[in-house]
Parts: sequence; structure tokens; C-alpha cells
Amino acid sequence: MSLKKQDEMDHNAWLKNQDLTVIETAFLTTLIWLDKRLRIVDYLELLETMYYRANLQMPKSHTEQYDLDNKFWYWYPLYSLGSLSIVAYLVAAVSGALLGFYYSPSTAGAAAQGDPTAAYDSLVMIMTDVQFGYMLRSIHRWAAQFMVAAVFLHMLRVYFTGSYKEPREVNWILGIVLIGLTLLFGFSGYVLPWKQLSYWAAQIGVEMALATPIVGEWAAQLLFGGFTLGQATLVRMYILHVFVLPFVVTGLIALHVGIVWVQGIAEPH
Amino acid sequence: MTDDDTPMTDGGTDDEARTDGGPPATVPPDDETPTWSDRKERSQGLAQLTYQYFERSRREDEDLRAESTYVERDVLGFPTWPHETLRNLAITSFFVGIMLLVAALMPAHFGEPANPGSTPAIILPDWYLYWSFGLLKLNPLNPELAVLDGNIAIGNEFLGIIAHGIIFGVIGLVPFLNKGSARRPVEQPFWAAVGVTGVILAFTLAALAIQNFFPISLDLLITLTFILPVLGGIITYAVLKTMREGYMYDLNRRYYMLRPPK
Repeated sequence: MSLKKQDEMDHNAWLKNQDLTVIETAFLTTLIWLDKRLRIVDYLELLETMYYRANLQMPKSHTEQYDLDNKFWYWYPLYSLGSLSIVAYLVAAVSGALLGFYYSPSTAGAAAQGDPTAAYDSLVMIMTDVQFGYMLRSIHRWAAQFMVAAVFLHMLRVYFTGSYKEPREVNWILGIVLIGLTLLFGFSGYVLPWKQLSYWAAQIGVEMALATPIVGEWAAQLLFGGFTLGQATLVRMYILHVFVLPFVVTGLIALHVGIVWVQGIAEPH
Repeated sequence: MTDDDTPMTDGGTDDEARTDGGPPATVPPDDETPTWSDRKERSQGLAQLTYQYFERSRREDEDLRAESTYVERDVLGFPTWPHETLRNLAITSFFVGIMLLVAALMPAHFGEPANPGSTPAIILPDWYLYWSFGLLKLNPLNPELAVLDGNIAIGNEFLGIIAHGIIFGVIGLVPFLNKGSARRPVEQPFWAAVGVTGVILAFTLAALAIQNFFPISLDLLITLTFILPVLGGIITYAVLKTMREGYMYDLNRRYYMLRPPK
């Protein structure tokens, strides 16, 4: 055995012998570079095997399979509602991240009842001082409205085309959970500006929680940070809105879409 | 082996410390590791059951494929690139564009700062929670069962929460109640009627939430809240039943020719 480094598979030499375009060369060089370090090819093979194992195949288009007239475009908008809600979710995520640079979840600064708090002032600042701030908030709010609307219409489409039937019950229930979380997303975002309607909407939330026997007080403390509204409520709603829900909802959306991928699209009729 | 105490983890030779990497380090299977044939021959407990089920379902799948008269053809659908991709891009950018347009034309409303001391005359959540807010205003329907100390057993707000639970529960049960291969509303008039009832109920409950805006008495409003959805459901059922024959002719001719119903 010698200490001299050996390269039995001289990929670079092989690469030179090939007659490749610049793009192909760049791709292969990157692939080889990564593969030498991370054994990417193994994982690609695994993925490929999984792909065929799971029997994934490009579905025939519905129009082709059932020899329909060109009704595909006619129904298409109804079948894109799910992805439209994801698009709205992404727009809300981007604009929300930008809003997060300027927003401060604090009820400090109010000398008397009814004075603007720091949270309220930061929204005023966003809407009046920040460049495009008014537009940014408007986009965030409307993206949320569109997402909720798309999610509701998506659910109606799934209901009226019977797409929830036999192999897809789990995804239907997952969808109900996602709708609930979307509404919670909307509710927690509604509270954040800490304006009159925010405050009293949160008040109704606390009252609803307190009206529930056994778990009610525990839920009120967990979600609203106590039985009366204040700094704790605002921070909890903020963390729910920008940290907890984004992770949970994104994960569940991925699972939801993943199940659709594995089970196949319920054919449009 | 010169030193039996040291476990050999690299599976290599033991004679000298290698500096050139040596032969590939594979872990030889020891007695504990079951080989694939061992795993197949597992003959007890859950492992066996799982394996048997897998075998069965695979065989079932193969049988179904063998029996099927479905003709596999090359896919003649739209190619992913450019057709599908461009269409998706177009729809996505159209949708985002609409969102930006609406956001520019109708900027978000902003109200007074929070004041715990003064309750506003009208408290409303966003429109998508109106139905939920309407459920909290069902107090006239509260059975008001008095318990010993005179307090009502079910508070008005708890009644609303129970109603939420019932609604979510019923929606969740739908796939377990509605079986069969029917897909279109005309094929299942009852379930379409249930759906229409639910949709109208969402709207009437929203109307109940903003009851201040309706110049009719509360009793009438609550009655309408529950009568209108049922009425809508009955009409839907009747219309679909009437449409059914003509529609099914078309369906049978064009659709079930290719996939007969079970």
C-alpha cells in the first residue's frame, strides 16, 4: 500500500473526453464536486427508487382520459383554489416579515385609558412614515383576506365534487384543522394593532374561553395570558402569529399537499 | 487478531495502523442483525401480521391490475414545460396582481386605539368569523336549564362553543357518512343539499352576527337563520332530482362508458 493518492474513477478526465455544452459541464462539475463530499448519487438513487415504488406517474389530463370536450379551462379556476391559498399565504408571509421589522408588540406608552400604545403607534408609524408602509400593511391584510376566502372556496369545491371520499378522509380532516388554524391566524393578526376592535375582539375571545368549563381558564391563560387583556395578551398573540402558527401551518400545508401528491388528485368531473 | 479487547469497527485488517484508508470499511452483519430473508420469515406477533398484510395488499394490487381492462396509453395531456408551467405562472401572477390591485385600491382601515374603558357600539371580527360570532348570539335558543342555585346550566357563550364543536364535528364526519363512488352533485342530491344548507347557514349566521343592521325583529331573524338554509337545501334537492335524468343520460354516454360505477 502506498500513501500516494489514487483516483481510480477519474471523473474529471472523463468529463474532458465528453463533448458537452457549458451548462452541462457546469452541472456535472457541481454534481461531481458535491457527490465526492456528500454521496449525493446515493440519495438520488434512493429518491428514484421511492418514486417508482410509490407508483407515482404523471396523470392523464382529465379531458384526455374521459374524452370530454374542452371543459378543462372552464373548471380550472375551481381546481386551483388550493394552490391560490398557498400563493396568498406566501404573499402574506413575505409582507408580514417586512412588517415585523417595524412592529413592536407592546402596550406601553398609554398614559390614560384610550391613549395610543406602542403597538398602535408603531402601526401609525408604518402607515405614515415608512416608505410604502401603508401599501405593505394593505397587502398583508388583503393577502390574509384572500387566503381565507380561497381556503373556504377550496373546501366548498372539495365538498361539492366529492373529493373527500374514501381514500382521502384523513386529508379532509387535516383540511378542517388547517381552516381552523387559518382562522386563528386571522384572529391573532386582528388583535395585533391593538385598536378598539382588536381589543374587544380579544375580549370576546377571553369570554368564550372562560365560558368553557374545566379547560376554559387554562386555555384563557395559555392563549391570552390571563383573564384580563394587557401586555401579556398582546405578546402571546404576537408569538402565536409570527412564530407558532407559521411553523405549524407551513408544516401542515406541506403534509396536506404531500398527501395529495401521494394519493393523486381527485379527478375533476 | 493480536488484541481481542479492542472491537474492530472498521472491518479492516488488524495487523497495522493504516494510513492510506485501506479497503472499504463495511460492517459485516453480526448474529444480531436479521438478514432480509430472516425478516421475511418472521413468524410471530405484530411483525408477522404486518408482513402478511403487506403481502396480501401487494397481491390484491397485482390481481386488480391483472383484472383491469383499463388500457394504459401514452400520456397525451399537457406537457409540464411549457404548457403547465406557463399556465400556473400566469394564474399565480394574475392572482398576486389582483391582490396588489385590491390592496392599492382599498387600503386597510385603521381605527381608534384600544380603550378598555369604553365598549364600542358595534364589536365585529373580520368577515370570515361572522358565522362564528353569529353562533355566540343564539341565547334565545338556550334551553336555560336551571340547576340548584338558579344559575343556568349552559351559559350563552358556552352554548356558542358547543355549536362550534357540533359544526366542526359534523364536517369532519362527512367522509365517513357519505360513501360510494358518486362525485357530482346530480349523482348525490342529498349531500349536495346538505352542502347548500351549510353554505346558506354560514351566511344567515353572519347576518345574525350583524343583527343591528337588519330592521327586523330578532325572533324573526333567528327563525330565518335556520329556516332559510333548510329551505335552500330542499330546493337544491328538488332541482337536482329533476335535473338528474337528463344529466345522467349525458354522464352515462360520455363518462361511465369509460369507468362504470361500482
